[in-house]
Amino acid sequence: MTRAPSIMAKTVSTPLILIAILAAIAIAVDAFGSGPLARTVIEMLIRVVLVVGIWIFVGNSGIISFGHVGFMCLGAYAAAWLTIPPMLKQISLRGLPEFLLENQFPFWPSALAASLLPAVFALILGPVLMRLAGIAASIATFAMLAVINTVYSNWSTVTGGTSSVIGIPTVTDVWIALGMASGAIVIAWLYAISRSGLALRAARDEAIAAQASGVNIERERLIAFVLSAFVCGAAGVLYAHFLGIITPDAFFLTATFVALSMLVVGGINSLSGAVIGVVFISVIIQLLRWMERGVQVGETTVAIPSGAQEIAIGLVMIVILIFRPAGLLGNREIVWTSRREPRVARTQPAE
Amino acid sequence: MQTTRRAALFGAAAIVSAAMPAIAEEEDIVIGFAVAESGFMQAYDEPATQAALIRIEEINEEGGLLGRQIVPVFADTKSDRAEGARAGLEVIEAGADMVVVSCDYDFGAPAALMAEAQNKISFFLCAESVRAGIQGVGPHSFSASVLAAVQGATMAEWAHEELGATTFYVLEDTWTEYNKGICDGFNWRAPQIEGVEIVGRDTFVNDDASIAAQITRIRNLPEPPDAIMLCSMMPGVVSAVRQIRNAGIEVPILNGSGVDGSYWMDAVPSLSEFYIPVQGSVYGDDPNPAVEEFNVRFEERFGARPSSQYAYPGYVMVDLWAKAVERAGTTDAAAVVEELEKMDEEPTLFGPRTFTSELHHQNRARYHIVKVTDGEPAVVDSWTIDEPIPLEVLLQ
Repeated sequence: MTRAPSIMAKTVSTPLILIAILAAIAIAVDAFGSGPLARTVIEMLIRVVLVVGIWIFVGNSGIISFGHVGFMCLGAYAAAWLTIPPMLKQISLRGLPEFLLENQFPFWPSALAASLLPAVFALILGPVLMRLAGIAASIATFAMLAVINTVYSNWSTVTGGTSSVIGIPTVTDVWIALGMASGAIVIAWLYAISRSGLALRAARDEAIAAQASGVNIERERLIAFVLSAFVCGAAGVLYAHFLGIITPDAFFLTATFVALSMLVVGGINSLSGAVIGVVFISVIIQLLRWMERGVQVGETTVAIPSGAQEIAIGLVMIVILIFRPAGLLGNREIVWTSRREPRVARTQPAE
Repeated sequence: MQTTRRAALFGAAAIVSAAMPAIAEEEDIVIGFAVAESGFMQAYDEPATQAALIRIEEINEEGGLLGRQIVPVFADTKSDRAEGARAGLEVIEAGADMVVVSCDYDFGAPAALMAEAQNKISFFLCAESVRAGIQGVGPHSFSASVLAAVQGATMAEWAHEELGATTFYVLEDTWTEYNKGICDGFNWRAPQIEGVEIVGRDTFVNDDASIAAQITRIRNLPEPPDAIMLCSMMPGVVSAVRQIRNAGIEVPILNGSGVDGSYWMDAVPSLSEFYIPVQGSVYGDDPNPAVEEFNVRFEERFGARPSSQYAYPGYVMVDLWAKAVERAGTTDAAAVVEELEKMDEEPTLFGPRTFTSELHHQNRARYHIVKVTDGEPAVVDSWTIDEPIPLEVLLQ
């Protein structure tokens, strides 16, 4: 009983530092930045929610999932069903059940309900998927993404098919996004230090030994899977309320690969890696975007060609992965080390 | 010391405030283009944007709008929706009086919604869905093109009147809203015409490798139809047309404007009896010589002729908006919308245009009919549908 608080105390600095970094960015942009820059930061915070959500499962279980953007899709559409004004729904989404067609719910309750939908979906599908391991599990999650995308692209009366769903109130601002990102980080951290999180990581590193010690791998994976579906669903909710318009192809391959590359660049095995990866890639994208528009050098404006951003971001990722194959953070977490900790002593130059 | 400084400040403030209205009057009018400069939408957005720039330059040469020069500003949407919203915001912050957004409804809407939220006028460059306007964005949003349904209805009427067609086969590519829109228009109009019968219907999806099953059903009809209404678009339409012709079905094929341009016609050897409606001709034979003058000017300015009719809505857009601004005497959105909504059969280089307080799109328009013979497209006729397409049909 006395050990639990000590793990908490030892690791609590990680989420606090990560949240502080995000908050500092948000506050700086709110104070000095322009409208478009603020949107970039909101987008970054939404990605933090998504990537942290993916990390809860991928980081702890070691199974790469290609399907989590599907949970984002479920969350976004559920948010749309709950919050679009009834008049619009009755025209474009006629197949919805009566109570959805006739009602419009406020943001927070709807956000909670919309995030729960993918969690329930994961709970139903999980027992089957979690029996698989390694690449088979990854392929199965990819299949899940394809199924979700196909259903949402074709179930016209309920999802509007491939047409845009419009009329979602655009309420996501920097503070809501920051709050949700902080919430995602806290959930991920609490899970990581929980009994289930520890067991799952043990199973990730040494499956047979973990099983021999009484770890029920499928059960622990399922818990992580459901929890991460919930957080990814919340990312979808934020996204829907950010853009005000959603289509199924916004939650497909491009989004999946962007999210996974952020996770891989940051470091797949650490929560700090997930957050830092998003921040790092987002900052590079923003710098390249400015360069595309042109940078004043003396009298002339120097600009890289439109579309060079996508190429440059690919090159940056290759370089990082060559020199830091385990990602920017490797397997470590950002922690606040006090003077008494031996780590600091070690790094001090010997005199 | 203190007093002199205060006096100096006061004097400066007085000068600035006196100069302010003068500066405001001298200020340029800004049109913000939140369109794709990279990515797949660029192919659609670029020609229409170039045509818009030509109209802007013409107006500036003639002395400007309300005595002020029009300055275009740009932000790249990268053919991405989230980037599109940001691009919309960027041009608004750059002082845009009007926001031009991507051709396609799905890709233009995020930027248009940004403009709508700030009560700015937005114009879709060439979107042909009814949602590109009041129904899908809000009361300040317009489209510069003509509804896809008008194209289907035009082909139904014209093929009946001029080709004498009475039996039609409808082959619908369900890939996009645009395709469905063409067929919606055809399906609304054709059954109203006396003596016309739709003898069969089928669907396919743009990227289907083979439509052999659909073709077999056409061939198994007791009598071949007088014409096939094909509601499809690039790139799948090329393969569909080739397969139909290869199967020995030589009846006229009707389509929407989406396949305008001769660039793809080599892919179907000696294509004939293929008909499409266009707002203006890029083939040098437009009945209105001013259209050909525009084509030449376009080539001089950008190095190539417009490849399809989808450049023209960009020109129409600036033309109509500038007229409304001129009449309103201001760029203020509410006043300009009011003037735009007063436009009834307003003449433009590419046919008359009408806006109402219910529809910021064309539900009736004059089309030239282009016939392809041996791979050579040429204008053979002009047609305007009898009555506008009702809003209920468009919204279904």
